[in-house]
Amino acid sequence: MEIGQFIIYGIINGSIYALVAVGLALIMGIMGIFYLAHGCMAMIGAYISFWLFQDAGLDPFLSIPLSMGILFIIGLAMYKGLFSSMKAFSPGQKIRNSMLVSFGLVLIIENMAVLIWTANERRVSTDYSGLTFDLAGLRVPYIGVVTVILAILVVFGLHYFLKKTFFGRSIWAISQDYQCARLMGINVDRTMLIAFGIGMSLTAIAGAIISQYSVSPSIGLDWVNKSLIIVVLAGVGSIGGVFYAGLLLGVLESVSAYFVGVHYTGVVSLVILLLILVFRPQGIFAKGAGI
Amino acid sequence: MPLKLKKTIAPGLVTAFLFCLPLFLSGDYYLTMVCSLFLYVTISQSWNLLGGYTGQINVGQSAFFGTGALVARLLWTGGLPFIPALLCGAFSSVLLSLVIGIPALRLRGHYFAIGTLAVAWIAFLLAENLFPGVTFLPGKYVATYSLLPRYYLYLVIMLSTILVVFLVVHSRMGLAMEAIREDEEAAQASGVNMTKYKVIAFVISSFFVGLAGGAFAYFHVSYYWYLPFILMWCFEPILITFIGGAGTLWGPIIGSFCYVALKEVFALTLGEVNVLIFGAVFIFIILFFPKGIIGVPEKLQEHLSKKAKSRQSARQKV
Amino acid sequence: MLSIKHIDVFYGDLQALWDVSLDIEDGKITSLIGSNGAGKSTLQLAVTGIVKPRSGSIHAGSIRLDNQPAHKIVDLGISMVPEGRRLFPEMTVLDNLEMGAFSRKARKKLGETIEWVYEIFPRLKERANQRAGALSGGEQQMLAIGRALMSRPKFLLVDELSLGLAPLVVRHICRILEEVNRLKGITIFVVEQNVRMALEFADHGYIMENGRIVGRGPSRDLLNSEEVKAAYLGTH
Repeated sequence: MEIGQFIIYGIINGSIYALVAVGLALIMGIMGIFYLAHGCMAMIGAYISFWLFQDAGLDPFLSIPLSMGILFIIGLAMYKGLFSSMKAFSPGQKIRNSMLVSFGLVLIIENMAVLIWTANERRVSTDYSGLTFDLAGLRVPYIGVVTVILAILVVFGLHYFLKKTFFGRSIWAISQDYQCARLMGINVDRTMLIAFGIGMSLTAIAGAIISQYSVSPSIGLDWVNKSLIIVVLAGVGSIGGVFYAGLLLGVLESVSAYFVGVHYTGVVSLVILLLILVFRPQGIFAKGAGI
Repeated sequence: MPLKLKKTIAPGLVTAFLFCLPLFLSGDYYLTMVCSLFLYVTISQSWNLLGGYTGQINVGQSAFFGTGALVARLLWTGGLPFIPALLCGAFSSVLLSLVIGIPALRLRGHYFAIGTLAVAWIAFLLAENLFPGVTFLPGKYVATYSLLPRYYLYLVIMLSTILVVFLVVHSRMGLAMEAIREDEEAAQASGVNMTKYKVIAFVISSFFVGLAGGAFAYFHVSYYWYLPFILMWCFEPILITFIGGAGTLWGPIIGSFCYVALKEVFALTLGEVNVLIFGAVFIFIILFFPKGIIGVPEKLQEHLSKKAKSRQSARQKV
Repeated sequence: MLSIKHIDVFYGDLQALWDVSLDIEDGKITSLIGSNGAGKSTLQLAVTGIVKPRSGSIHAGSIRLDNQPAHKIVDLGISMVPEGRRLFPEMTVLDNLEMGAFSRKARKKLGETIEWVYEIFPRLKERANQRAGALSGGEQQMLAIGRALMSRPKFLLVDELSLGLAPLVVRHICRILEEVNRLKGITIFVVEQNVRMALEFADHGYIMENGRIVGRGPSRDLLNSEEVKAAYLGTH
């Protein structure tokens, strides 16, 4: 395979990464919750898409609104039950407690997934799954194009939502100054609750796409790994940067596979993370801080 | 003098008891469980020094555990007598902590956590790919395999870890470390050399974790090479220390007891769902007992005195 | 009228306010003076609902405040300018102002209110698209006050107006607040360390020390009293 093909796949992979990471950018970057279970939620989204396809014949892209709704509700319950008590914590405490709680969640969710759905790998195969078209001698899958478009829509949609709408700006305001936000008449409890739900429901979109590649109970940690890297790469608190960071990571990983082989791409992306942390911890795409 | 004597008598008795314990335990099952307990106390107490006392949440301890195990196992199965191999393992772990630690400790807050987690993940991926398959003990070692020396190895390592942490915590170094945990800016302003103490905590911590890894390599006859690198080894000490009470000497000890006992009970009684229930219990403890089990008597006291106060003020209003 | 009756406020086990009672008359300017750490900010935080009193009550007219969540209290027409000019530093001046009009009632009249705020603080209009974190101290205080006014309040609480500002800037802001009080009838309650300024500016004054009210009266009387002169104006 020539390097151009690797780049194409890198762009597509990067878009999937961005779609998964954008929810975490909201939950971790803006709400300050170290949410290790994020990858598991993408897995749940993927399973929902899979079963809707398997049992109801619903195309995974068409089932997105439904799986978003389900994950939104799960998100509300999760925030209410687990993280709302941490709202007034200092950042350090919040990070530590939310990390530990979400780790417990990973244990629960992964094992529940094995019990309910078995450890078998699942995949959605639609009529158009393998279809590609030719671009300058390179093969481009149709699903890939849809993925990239979705990534752009979702990431920049969220960015716009947080910057331009009143509700979105209230989320942003809370992250900048919790007490001031209350003085503005913002119902911080309800706002955080809904914001968390939104962050979760966004993973449903990524899940729909992931279901067309491969789903099994153990993929959660891999996805949160990638998401963490992207959130740091983009700059904690940046939303728009998630798309570029995703692309960058996807292409770098893919191209590195060309040189070091497929098994070590994971190491490459982690090394990139470490380099960013040491040399530019505020991220590549954030101008200072903020969205 | 009497107080000092009292303080050394109780631990002394416990230590003597632990040394004699194998005489009372029949069968390998219980001995193995106690070894497991000693292992968890060791890695948790080591983590506690950096995480509980100095406040730097290291989520990458599996890299150090794994390194200690890997180097010790390689050298030992390669012909070196065990004790030198063990020490080489521990020192490799220390070397790694210096290489990683010095740049990593500059990171604050969640960045340090993410960074150390990334290191552990890289270590796992490398181990998985560079050392595929299982490591087997050479025949002669299997023939002479006995649980007893391994029990004492674990015991000695655990006791020395607790002792060293105890000494550090009660020294000026310990004070500096706790100051760093409470408020880094304030500590720096009062002249504490933050980097020096963070690195010291990191080095001591990784030495004992590396030692524990070497003991692990000595204990198991055969295992997948990547086993000491799995991420559970990162989360378990954090879990245990917080269950017991971070920043206290007893915390990791109590936490390990509960963890091992709970795991065993759940594994025996709950079968398939044991990890699930375990996760739920864990979350419950974090949410309702953020100070850990050590904080329970305090919380009870608080709760009871609040009730007394409200009864009092109700009486006053009448 | 805002009436605070016999409130005790605790931070954990530490008592910050002891049996504090205060009345703030409609349409007037009231000042609360006292040395640093006396508990003045805590009192305002209790009114806005950020902090809840353990006993006693706070009323705005006939409506009880201390049992309501903070965001509802804004809806009732009470707005606060927090200490230290806390703004949303990453947002622009315009964004900050619009955030001030978050409540539904205020949002409906957003355009009108912004025009008014730009009238009183023309500097804000000039800097409308700049990041709030990049403004000077005086401009930030103006933005903080402008933002608080965006919710179209009946009561405006200001915490430490003069902190870190040049005297000229403080005087300018005081004049603007006086105008706002006169023209729009907005009741103003100011917590202030600068005693002379606070008492010259206000109609009525209260003195707080160690979490207790130790003096009250028309501000002119307080200004001329021997105790106040000795305790606060000597060291001014």
